[in-house]
Amino acid sequence: MTSPIPPAPDSSLVVARELSKTYGSGNAAVHALRGVNLDLPKGELVVLLGASGSGKSTLLNLIGGLDNPTGGSLHYRGWNVAQADEAGLTAYRRDVVGFVFQFYNLIASLTARENIGLITEVSRDPMSTDDALALVDLTNRANHFPAQLSGGEQQRVAIARAIAKRPELLLCDEPTGALDVKTGVLVLEAIQRINREIGTLTVVITHNAILAEMADRVFTMSDGRLELAKVNANPRPVGELAW
Amino acid sequence: MELLDLKLLRDLKALKSQAFAVALVMACGLAMMIMTRSLIRSLDQARDGYYEKHRFAEVFAGLKRAPDSTREKLAAIPGVAAVETGVEVSVTLDLPDLLEPASGLINAVPDRRPTILNKLYLRRGNLLEGSSRLEVLVSEAFAEANALNPGDPIAAILNGRRLELRIAGIVLAPQYVFEARPGSALPDNKTFGIFWMREQELAEAFNLEGAFNTLALSLAPGASEPEVIAEVDRILEPYGGLGAYGRSEHPSNIRVDDEIRVLDGLSFGFPLVFLSVAAFMTHSVMSRQIALQREQIAILKAFGFANRTIAWHYIKFALLIVIVGTSLGTLGGFIFGLKLVDMYHLFFRFPRLEFVPATGAIIGALIASSAAALIGVAGAVLKVVKLSPAEAMRPEPPASFRPAIAERLGFSKWLTVSLRMALRNVERKPWQAIFTTVALAMATGILIIPNAFRDGVRHILDFQWDVVQRQTVTVSLVEPGPMRAAHDFSQLPGVVLAEPFRTVPIEMVSGQRSRRLALHGIVKDADLNRVMGQDNLPLQLEQSGLIISEALGDSLEVRPGDLVTINVLQGKRRSITIPIGGFSQDFAGIASFMELHALNRLLGEGDRITGAFISVAGGQWEAFLRELKETPQASGVVIKNAMRQSFRKTTAESIGLIQVIYSSFATIVAFGIVYNSARIALSERARELATLRVLGFSQGDVGSILVGELVVLAAIALPLGLWIGSGMASLLIQSINTETVRLPLVLSASNYAYATLVITLATAISALIACRKLNQLDLVGALKATE
Ligand SMILES: Nc1ncnc2c1ncn2[C@@H]1O[C@H](COP(=O)(O)OP(=O)(O)OP(=O)(O)O)[C@@H](O)[C@H]1O
Ligand SMILES: [Mg+2]
Repeated sequence: MTSPIPPAPDSSLVVARELSKTYGSGNAAVHALRGVNLDLPKGELVVLLGASGSGKSTLLNLIGGLDNPTGGSLHYRGWNVAQADEAGLTAYRRDVVGFVFQFYNLIASLTARENIGLITEVSRDPMSTDDALALVDLTNRANHFPAQLSGGEQQRVAIARAIAKRPELLLCDEPTGALDVKTGVLVLEAIQRINREIGTLTVVITHNAILAEMADRVFTMSDGRLELAKVNANPRPVGELAW
Repeated sequence: MELLDLKLLRDLKALKSQAFAVALVMACGLAMMIMTRSLIRSLDQARDGYYEKHRFAEVFAGLKRAPDSTREKLAAIPGVAAVETGVEVSVTLDLPDLLEPASGLINAVPDRRPTILNKLYLRRGNLLEGSSRLEVLVSEAFAEANALNPGDPIAAILNGRRLELRIAGIVLAPQYVFEARPGSALPDNKTFGIFWMREQELAEAFNLEGAFNTLALSLAPGASEPEVIAEVDRILEPYGGLGAYGRSEHPSNIRVDDEIRVLDGLSFGFPLVFLSVAAFMTHSVMSRQIALQREQIAILKAFGFANRTIAWHYIKFALLIVIVGTSLGTLGGFIFGLKLVDMYHLFFRFPRLEFVPATGAIIGALIASSAAALIGVAGAVLKVVKLSPAEAMRPEPPASFRPAIAERLGFSKWLTVSLRMALRNVERKPWQAIFTTVALAMATGILIIPNAFRDGVRHILDFQWDVVQRQTVTVSLVEPGPMRAAHDFSQLPGVVLAEPFRTVPIEMVSGQRSRRLALHGIVKDADLNRVMGQDNLPLQLEQSGLIISEALGDSLEVRPGDLVTINVLQGKRRSITIPIGGFSQDFAGIASFMELHALNRLLGEGDRITGAFISVAGGQWEAFLRELKETPQASGVVIKNAMRQSFRKTTAESIGLIQVIYSSFATIVAFGIVYNSARIALSERARELATLRVLGFSQGDVGSILVGELVVLAAIALPLGLWIGSGMASLLIQSINTETVRLPLVLSASNYAYATLVITLATAISALIACRKLNQLDLVGALKATE
């Protein structure tokens, strides 16, 4: 498959200007995003904090091409995500974006290996399934079905599935939301390792402010508005964070 | 509780197209049931009322001639309530507008006493009032077919004398609800009619003064019909009695009873299939709904709602579907019932035939569909009851899967990922896959049945009349004549071939069972009217062999090789016991055949014939008929194409209408089933497919996974359905086949092609709708929902 997305030599991979999203209309309108401006440079690990309902997921879904904004612009490498058609968005999701969700969303009828294989089969330049599993430290569970894996293991498979195609953009919406602290650390370590080893621009939504320490850049959201909270010159490894 | 009802309405709205599909399937089944049950009631009421009011007799007999004094002997038979004797003779008519000769029966209307039994119903005109002579009453069916009205002249040849008569009135009689030539199962209202004249005039013309040749009796309560019949036969024996019989052998009455029997067969089997399908659909919709609402149910339970309340909530959901289905079904049943009643007017002549809604059937329908829905919902509701609130509050763990059998056998490398998903899904929930396949197979199967009716009728119309009966016309003589008569016929213009036959009334007896019918003697290597065997090949009539209709064999409980006794009811009234040589393949009425010479030897009256089968060259048809009309020996004329036309207009039309109704229903139901299956599949896979979309699969990719499963199941179901349908068609045709009309089981390629086409189309359209729904799926929303 050919991708309509041209590679652009720009240091900012994702650029949003006055991005807004309104659900519903009239009295029932919910302004989930109220003019968000955002520049995400290549290869960084970004953490997005904010109260519940502040619009974090909405923003992430727009960046990931799951939804259309109601105003403003959103570009990936100069390509207009906001104006893309269905085929364009599909190609974008297939070739550029890796998603990790709070509830893993693995295909129950496929083994860990097959869940990853499903994606590598259709991507342009995937890593091998085994390499992807090795990155999340699950080589020995390759032939297990989701039902035979713990929550943390399932989430790591989901991460392996997301990164196996070497996406430029890895979007994680509360990846540890359903996990205990210890398991959460394993998952976050995997995310951090991938960010470092492959150089994938990674956005992680979390409610845990401590995680700000692991990020290159931290944003906070409140009531649909985004603010750059902090830039870490030296992000710390997840394992060293004080829980 | 009101909020729970609000939830009910919202759920129903969300599931409206599926709920409607279920209701529609239910409605189709119920409409058939209500339609047929109402028709049965309509016919039943019309018949019973008519029989009672016009005093339809209970025992009937024909004879050659008995003096009026015999009446007292007959009236004295214990158990006889009333005696009606009369004169009935055959007549040839000359209708100016009709090319072919018409014939009929003339009955006597007593002058000096009132009619006691089989009273006439006057439709128009008057009942031979005053003293005017040369007037007749005409049966309505014949009058309508030939556009005759009171006051019209009509020329008749009575006992060789041509009389110019005038029509006084148009009438109906309870013994002629169904009007057909004696011995014929099919009506031919254009060339055969029933007439009534003053007894005096008729008796004079036929030298039957002070005598009678037909008899009708009514029985006192508690009288034994067989005993009366035996006594009547004994009394009439010296007067050329043709054997007395009860209503169960009365041709018109049999025809009405048979129609009711057909409706009875239709009112049960087919609707039952539909209702079972509706039950299954209710089950699949409700199970799915409850699986989706697991958490909601748990929350309701956690908040203290009783199991009963929640179960009732879902049962109400099913009952709402039932209410919609029953209302639609009742409406449909009435509409189609009214249409069919209109059609019954064409061949059943009642003073009044009104559509009588079968209220019992509607209540039965409500109960049946509620039962179907409750059976369907029971399993699903049981799950609700068992669900512990705590268990349900947790998100459902991922379903456990394992490699499919095919993979365990080492075929993995040939399987694509989506095929693996499909196979494993099937293996994890084999019952669901089996149910869906069976439902799809049923959808295919029910399409076969109505078209099998149509093909059976077509087979009769084409094969029977073109291959079996190759004569153009059957001409019978006024009275048995010499072989030479056949030769005379062959001299008429255009005659290619004339084959003589002899027909005698007989009684065929085997043990306690007996039937009165005609025995036909036909030539050995017949070219025209041939007797077909079970394998659809002409049977060779051996010198002494007896061939009978299979239906007669069934009725007498005999098989080829068994002995039967034949009592000839005419002439020397000989009896003979002979083995049955074989069964003939015929479709209407009962008949028996012997080789002509063998029959004549049995009768011992020399080489005599009663008529001939004649084939006439196309170009000379009119000349032939013109001459035939002038031939005094020819009485009855049966024109093959007229019979075919009549069959087409009556049996074929009624079966045709039922076929169209049922076929439309079956098509609707097939669509409903396939659509429902597609929607269930979509609902079950929505989350998974949405995930795939998010991961970068195109709409086409995920669509093909969804459609792939449906197509695989439909592909398995299709041959299975054709097979099941063939079986059901065979059963149903057997159940509605009666002695008057028997449909052969014909399963044509076009029937199978239609079923395949409908299922393919239904699958394609349902797949398209499912794909459209899939494309409209809110990706973010589908990911949020945790099932
Ligand atoms: N489909 C929708 N229709 C209407 N409003 C919506 C919809 N999805 C989200 N919202 C609203 O948009 C706002 C932002 O939602 P969003 O899911 O982005 O919040 P969030 O920051 O991710 O919250 P959380 O931390 O709880 O996940 C909320 O007020 C929410 O109610
Ligand atoms: Mg969120």
